[in-house]
Amino acid sequence: MASTARVSPPAGSTGNVIRDSALGIVPETLDHYLALNAAIWDAGPLSAAEVELARLRNARHTGCVMCQAVRYDVAIADGLTEDKVQVIRQDDPMAGLSERERLLVAFVDQYNLDPAGIPESLQQDLLEAFREDELLHLSLLVAWFNGSSRCAVALGGMPEAMPRLEISVPR
Amino acid sequence: MSWIAGDLNRAQLMGRLPAIGEHFQRLHASFYPLSQLPPETMELCRLRLAQLHRSDADFALAEYPVAAGKREQLQNWHSAAVFSAAERACLELAEVHAMDCGAITDALADAVKQHHGEAGLVALLQGLGVFDGFIRLGLIWQAAPAGGKQHG
Repeated sequence: MASTARVSPPAGSTGNVIRDSALGIVPETLDHYLALNAAIWDAGPLSAAEVELARLRNARHTGCVMCQAVRYDVAIADGLTEDKVQVIRQDDPMAGLSERERLLVAFVDQYNLDPAGIPESLQQDLLEAFREDELLHLSLLVAWFNGSSRCAVALGGMPEAMPRLEISVPR
Repeated sequence: MSWIAGDLNRAQLMGRLPAIGEHFQRLHASFYPLSQLPPETMELCRLRLAQLHRSDADFALAEYPVAAGKREQLQNWHSAAVFSAAERACLELAEVHAMDCGAITDALADAVKQHHGEAGLVALLQGLGVFDGFIRLGLIWQAAPAGGKQHG
């Protein structure tokens, strides 16, 4: 993984972590990026803790060190514990997760590893545990975080390790 | 037929959660008018991702006009003469991005920057992330896309 950034961020500072990042040199997409990111946290039926669990599980797949170090304050306020975060960092997290959380992790893994091969048994289990709007929220948030996490990795500048960093949702 | 909500296509499924789905659709559409990367190159990379994911439905889409010869020879972009050096640089990066974004080398990124600058690289990486997401959503939902919007 490239530890040197491949792109320079824009000059100056707006105080917004997204606008001040390398993404800021393509300003035409920024408003869409920020609006979608905020909607993922604010406008879906899943709790912030569930969104964060899915985001962190996804970050493990993409290998984004920064994404794995970040914790969103809204998820912490919603009750997400560091113990739970450590559980979903395991290869096959089972103990310590509710059935709903286990299925959430299974969906993220399937999306990353073989989206076309989702087994009927997993489909049925998901349909029993989640409402339709919750499944759509889960799908869209994984697609969003997967794409943005891949972009972050590919832009380079990722350290070998980072301490835990609590942040607010950029708007 | 999608296992989530019956006989709905990908766009219709996104529309069932409009507060999020519509933002995603707008972001997707925002890549084609960008000045930082030619829209035909953006579309070639989306089509190559569709091939790599074996999503025939996404490959059949035409979000932006692409010369017929390029579409037909996309699988052989390494050797086909119809592709420019700039297109090859973007397609090569798109292929590695699809397999392992952490495997993108400085040389691959530099090749894109040589033709399109740093902003072109950022635009491409943003687009690849969103295009890849749309394709994966169609696959995991088992929902075909609704048919492309022509951005050109």
